[in-house]
Amino acid sequence: MIDLTEVTKIYRRGPEEIQALKGISLGIAAGEFAAISGKSGCGKSTLLHIIGGLEPCTSGRVVVDGRNLARLPDLELTRFRRDRVGVVFQSFNLLPLLTLEENVALPRVLQGISYSQAREEAGHWLQEVELAHRRGHKPHQVSGGEMQRAAIARALINRPAVLLADEPTGNLDSATAGQILELFARVHRDWRQTVVLVSHAAEVAGYADRLLSMQDGVIL
Amino acid sequence: MKLFLFRLSLSHLTEYPGRTLLGILGIALGTAVYLSISLAAASSLKSFQAGVTAVAGKAQWRLKSPGSPLNESLFARVRRLPEVKAGAPVVESVLEFTGPRKGPVLLLGIDPFSERPFRNYDFQTGTGLDREAWLQFLTQPGAVLVSDRLAAQKGLKVGDPLPVLVGPARHTLKVAGVFHSPSGLYPLEGSLLLMDLAGAQELLDRVGQLDYIDLILKGDGDQAASRLARELPPGVDLVRPGTQGRQLEGMVASYRLNLTVLSAIALFVGMFLIYQSVTLSVVRRRREIGLLRTLGLGRGQVLLLFLAEGLASGAVGGLLGLGLGVVLAQSALALMTHNLSSLYAPVQATEVVVQTRLLLQAWGLAVAATLIAAWIPAREAARTRVRAVWYREELEERLQNRSGTFGVLGLLALALAGFFAVLRFGSGPSLPSFAAAFLILLAFALFTPFAARNLGERLQPLLRRLLGPPGDLGCRYLSGSLSRSAVSIAALACALGMLIAVAVMIGSFRQTVNSWVTRSISGDIFFGPAIFSTAAYDHYLPREILPGLQKDPDIQDIYLYRCVRLPFKDRFLLVIGGSFDVLAKYGGLWFRQGDTQRIMQEVGGESHGVPADTAARPTAPGSPKPNPPYPPLEKGGNSSPLSRERKSPPLLKGDLGGFFGSSKTVESNTDYRKQETENRKPAVVISEPLAETFGYKEGDILALPTPAGVQKLKIAGVFYDYRTDGPSVWMDIRQFRTFWPDTRLNAVRLYLKDKTKIAAVQARLQEAYGSRYRLLTVSHQELRQGILKIFDETFALTYTLEGVAVVVAVFGIITTFLVLIMERERELALLQALGASRGQILSMVLVESGLASFLSFVLGALCGSLLSLLLIYVINKQAFGWTIQLHWTPGIYWQTLVLVLALGLLSGAYPAWRAVQPHLAAILKEE
Repeated sequence: MIDLTEVTKIYRRGPEEIQALKGISLGIAAGEFAAISGKSGCGKSTLLHIIGGLEPCTSGRVVVDGRNLARLPDLELTRFRRDRVGVVFQSFNLLPLLTLEENVALPRVLQGISYSQAREEAGHWLQEVELAHRRGHKPHQVSGGEMQRAAIARALINRPAVLLADEPTGNLDSATAGQILELFARVHRDWRQTVVLVSHAAEVAGYADRLLSMQDGVIL
Repeated sequence: MKLFLFRLSLSHLTEYPGRTLLGILGIALGTAVYLSISLAAASSLKSFQAGVTAVAGKAQWRLKSPGSPLNESLFARVRRLPEVKAGAPVVESVLEFTGPRKGPVLLLGIDPFSERPFRNYDFQTGTGLDREAWLQFLTQPGAVLVSDRLAAQKGLKVGDPLPVLVGPARHTLKVAGVFHSPSGLYPLEGSLLLMDLAGAQELLDRVGQLDYIDLILKGDGDQAASRLARELPPGVDLVRPGTQGRQLEGMVASYRLNLTVLSAIALFVGMFLIYQSVTLSVVRRRREIGLLRTLGLGRGQVLLLFLAEGLASGAVGGLLGLGLGVVLAQSALALMTHNLSSLYAPVQATEVVVQTRLLLQAWGLAVAATLIAAWIPAREAARTRVRAVWYREELEERLQNRSGTFGVLGLLALALAGFFAVLRFGSGPSLPSFAAAFLILLAFALFTPFAARNLGERLQPLLRRLLGPPGDLGCRYLSGSLSRSAVSIAALACALGMLIAVAVMIGSFRQTVNSWVTRSISGDIFFGPAIFSTAAYDHYLPREILPGLQKDPDIQDIYLYRCVRLPFKDRFLLVIGGSFDVLAKYGGLWFRQGDTQRIMQEVGGESHGVPADTAARPTAPGSPKPNPPYPPLEKGGNSSPLSRERKSPPLLKGDLGGFFGSSKTVESNTDYRKQETENRKPAVVISEPLAETFGYKEGDILALPTPAGVQKLKIAGVFYDYRTDGPSVWMDIRQFRTFWPDTRLNAVRLYLKDKTKIAAVQARLQEAYGSRYRLLTVSHQELRQGILKIFDETFALTYTLEGVAVVVAVFGIITTFLVLIMERERELALLQALGASRGQILSMVLVESGLASFLSFVLGALCGSLLSLLLIYVINKQAFGWTIQLHWTPGIYWQTLVLVLALGLLSGAYPAWRAVQPHLAAILKEE
């Protein structure tokens, strides 16, 4: 499902060069739940963004769901993000103007299906994450855990090939964080969803099939 | 509060230098425009006043006759009176340089032996004033002394010839010497010639006449003046010399107030920018405010913090505006002196007088405006609960919920505007009507949140169907970001509203003037001195011309025109004598009510008992009638008030008055006097501005000061009039000559038998008289074009002011979209992460900016239409007394729509393009 070969990423800030990834090679199979852990600044989020097509690598080869992302034109990359990837962020990143239901429906709407159908599907996914009763609320009217559950529903509504999660429990208390991790585990278990989860928290190990540790831009 | 916190504010102001700069620039422009108009108006009036003071010198009192010269024998009589310490006779006229040296010049004809106590011109030490020069000055015809300033400006030296126009006649004067004014004050910025009194009287065709006599009285001035006034013959007034300047100020007060208010519009729009800037700052720094509040910062301190930011922008913007304003004032002064000269009186101010008071006033206004603008968002920040400031969405929700309340407040503002619009205190420009204009602007600003919310919500389903997610989200962002977008929309709507209002008003006015010229000014050729301005009252048609015109076989009828200007209450009044029989025949005045023919006949004399054979009789168009001979003239002193005192009746023997009657000697003056005794008042018609300014109605009695004493005249009708040189009273020329007993004419209108020969007759007249005189032979069409040209020049300044307000508002909309998109960068990146294409993101932003621009236009168009009604039916009516027929000009609406949409889309396109640059991950990276 995911195949990375000698992937590097260099950021340039003026004359300074920061090497975030140093020749990473990695394979993740379909239906696998991989957790990547490491200290802040080790490059794990960068790795996740490159897998999700959110930013390009500097060198190397990134193949996700059979597509070589480095060679995809912009339009194809947009389609890839829309149809094949679901992303969950640490700070939820829900659009404040939309209700939870509309936030969840958004990726389907962007795919071009009708609003009514998208909302119907969103209702289903909100039920899956136990938020049906909050469908008409706006993000600032619900708790952090509820926002993150809505973000997970939004990431899943397109039935993506890969679900990527970037520190999804970073802004939550430990009890809520446990519930969210449990939700990821259920998604993986019930639908054989490929999940790549980045976290610096040690407890993710208990939910993932495989735990990868990163340090200074390399996988240990 | 600790200075540290203000440093925090400063760092925020410098964090987004572009946005801060735009806010500052908005205030700077507003201040600059306001200051430039204030300085230009003050400088031009000061220059005029300096001229009045310079000419008045040390004179305490002045003897004048309303709209008429004095007999010079009055000087000898008055000088001998025990109350009079010193007296100086003067004739004056504004001449025009011809040849390479163009421009107006004031000629003062003085008696140098009487002058010394009055005007301290330095004749002795000035260059070139030796014994020979004096001899020339006193004995040589055409010898003049020029002011040192004029000599320097024009490069004049002793012996130089000075070609000038005296009325229509060409003359060449000669520089006998140069004088200097130790006070430094000169009329017309130094454009001054002095001539010996006798020579000037001859040059100006005023032998035996004086324009005024300056006096210094003995002892207690006021008591002496009262005694002197009792000695004076009827029709001679004793006035203070400075009243002329005050009358000009009174006359231009409306013009000045209108410009000042228009210039304040730019500052008003600038206030929106500051409001927006501080609001954005509050919104963006919600976390910081929450943190500071959590750490113990009080509400008052938060308020101070944001007020200080607004104040800093206002203070800096105001200072920049002062510098820019002084520079702009130079251009404004040139435009304004041109307008004042062509509309009111000759003014020649070339230097901007920078007054500290005006600088402080403009800067204070800028600072006050910014404090008011910053107050609302600062108070919002201070009042917000600690937790709530962490969520901008709550602010948005609150604004959305309150949008209806704002709408209701807007309706209240409109109702209040209606109330102010009908309020009226005294005559002239009324402040409540300007308050009504600002209330209308405020009302539409208050409608904006409601309108933006509804437009977004109601268009959402349609645009979703048509454009998909970009249409849907664009609408949502419009209705969901009111705290930011509504302010910009309101600012742009206000600026557009004023632009549209002024354009509709000017368009309507222009159309009305055009109709008025067509309907009210009859005549095929207008023939008179080549002076198209207010300096024309003492310029006359050369005497020998009229007999030639009478004999011209191509001319069917001739309309005689005589005009004087005299002080009337706090204004100048034009009194016009015209051939009402000709007007009755061809049309010429457009009365607001009543039967035109009946009014014309009443004024024309038949109803006065004037013998029918002396009155002008309407004849059927086309029926030829022989032109009678021009009446013989009596030059000189017999026409003065003093001579009238001795020689009554005032109408000159042989004066035909009604030009088309028989050549029978007119004795109708006795008939006019008879009317008085029979308590039948002579009838006149008055212009609408006179009626509106002083509250006269048809049938009222007008007490008119004339050289023959105050006359009680019946107002037979009120006619529409759009002259800018003052309100006017029109009467039959025979009636006129009973009050102003001279037979001169200022101009004539010619009615041709064959209308196809207009150009040929014009050419013939030019050929016959062009070498000796500079006379205008203007066809009706050329007159209309000339009037409309002056009209357009007059309003150029108005358009410029409005343009600046729109530029300031455009700054606002550009800033808004830049900031909106910058603030939403993360959301837009997220949309891309979720699979939205760049095209979709661009479309979404353009939908939002397009809708915002469109809404600005709709609100601006509605606001502008309402304001135009206020301008047309209330403000102009009150300020100038003009009834303007409303003519909608669809062009301005289309032009504005295209301009605003283009600007709105462009100002949205750049930040949208920025937002879709491939740096998603950087934006989405956790904070």
